[in-house]
Amino acid sequence: MAGVWILAESRSQTLELLNVAVGLADKLGTQVTAFLYGDSQLAQEYIAHGADQVLILPPLTEEQPLEDYVPVIAAEARQEDPDIFLLAATTRLKEMAARIAARLNTGLCSSCTALKFDETGKVLVMERLVFGGAALQTVTCRTRPQMATIAPRTFTPATPVADRKGQIRELPSPPPGLVKINKRKPKTRQSGDITEAKVLVCVGRGIEQEQDMALARDLAEVIGGELACTRPIAEELHWLPEETYIGLSGQQVKPDLYIGIGISGQIQHVTGIRDSRLICAINRDENADIFGMSDYGIVGDLYSVLPELTRQLKQALKK
Amino acid sequence: MLRIITCFKWVVDQADIKTAPGSRELALERAAYRISDYDRFAIEEAVTLQEQYGGSTAAITVGTPAARKSLKDVLSRGPEKAYFVNDPSFDNLEPSQTSSILASAIRTGLEYDLIICGEGSGDLYAQQVGPRLAEALDIPCTTCVSKLTIYGHQLIAERKLEDGIEVVTIPLPALITVLPEINTPRIPGLKDTLAASKKPVIEITAADLGQSFEPCLQTVSILAATMERSGVKFTSEPGDITKFVDAILKTGAIG
Repeated sequence: MAGVWILAESRSQTLELLNVAVGLADKLGTQVTAFLYGDSQLAQEYIAHGADQVLILPPLTEEQPLEDYVPVIAAEARQEDPDIFLLAATTRLKEMAARIAARLNTGLCSSCTALKFDETGKVLVMERLVFGGAALQTVTCRTRPQMATIAPRTFTPATPVADRKGQIRELPSPPPGLVKINKRKPKTRQSGDITEAKVLVCVGRGIEQEQDMALARDLAEVIGGELACTRPIAEELHWLPEETYIGLSGQQVKPDLYIGIGISGQIQHVTGIRDSRLICAINRDENADIFGMSDYGIVGDLYSVLPELTRQLKQALKK
Repeated sequence: MLRIITCFKWVVDQADIKTAPGSRELALERAAYRISDYDRFAIEEAVTLQEQYGGSTAAITVGTPAARKSLKDVLSRGPEKAYFVNDPSFDNLEPSQTSSILASAIRTGLEYDLIICGEGSGDLYAQQVGPRLAEALDIPCTTCVSKLTIYGHQLIAERKLEDGIEVVTIPLPALITVLPEINTPRIPGLKDTLAASKKPVIEITAADLGQSFEPCLQTVSILAATMERSGVKFTSEPGDITKFVDAILKTGAIG
């Protein structure tokens, strides 16, 4: 069965990809196939949300990485010849997508941000960011299947339809590969989820010392926001947990309000905030790039601006 | 003895990406090029491993003859030789082509136990060439490695994933892609730069590879990404901060 295939690491990612896949399958006059591993209870739910077929990937052993599914999925694709194959752009699935694409000799649009089906050419027209987010590349794939990885939360989830019917089929168990897992160290979440936050206060290298983070924390508390940061603050200075850095290689956020403090506005960071509703910035350099991408900015020393801003906001919000 | 190949790409310096006035067309004619920042960590990791375990490090790149300028730069960073796979047609390659060309060049007789790539390139950042190259060479791989140890004929890598760290063991030969946090690349000094000009460069041309490399992905356009915002600036005077607060509150984003 050809059609539109999807593979994601979680239920929510799968529902988002189902939404895209159902729209594309309608235009192509074909069907939607979703892969599922782990909780097979989800098969019926995926069918209700638009899958015509659910392919169950059998459980892996403790030491098998998810990537061991690559040969099984590639073999299935060789046999069934899908038109389109979309995967969630997680670290594991980006590797798997590239390897599956290599096995199928086909093209892959990495971290696709938007796509549409061109009726005349019968091809997917896909967009992605390049040059650290400074430019938008539009690509088409000349080979089958047309593949793309799509970042989680790029699309809204599919909505369920009552009494939808679909097939469920189990695929063969993957043989153990050469890569073996010795140990897993699950992440202990040290902060709120910045991708869900409505308000974000984001700090950059303009903050001189770790203790000065209190200024940003005070502001965040007053406006009910979460703290976020740029890559160096998390990865080099370790002042905030790594899951709180925003940017091309970090989190993509869409808050109602983003306030950037001491952030110059490097494109890699700004790419992660472009979908924010309101972008505000405080920086002492009036020529800082961040101002060109902001709705409102204050040109000034954050050490004098922040206490005053926090005080005024506290007063204004108290009423 | 560990024979390492490190792959790198010669990319447009992002600081030089400009658009023509009133247009979204990119004006790259006068842009400078540099070794992709992400690849600097791959090069450093290769050189550090060689210092630790002995063996050899070769750097390899694919590009047009214009990428020749990258060779002295890469060699000043520690590798003892460079393979320059070049042809005028190797321009604007997409990841399936780059990985096929690299694989084809490596199969001309380059010996290796470990191939190290960056997490993605500084221009396209498709993050495909590493895993695709591993598939083409039929060797195991893992991506986004933040810590690496060699242990006899296998490597132990810590991978950073969304839900935590996964520690994996892989028998050599293998390919990994590394994250910037894995090391701090050294800055080449004058001595390194002088030594670089004496190191061998081996050229591999399209003719040597004896096959053509057709793209799977076709680029329709590359245009500047737009971010249209009102860009109103206030001073740090308390009265101006009040205007800033009012402006935010008026949008209804908070409160």
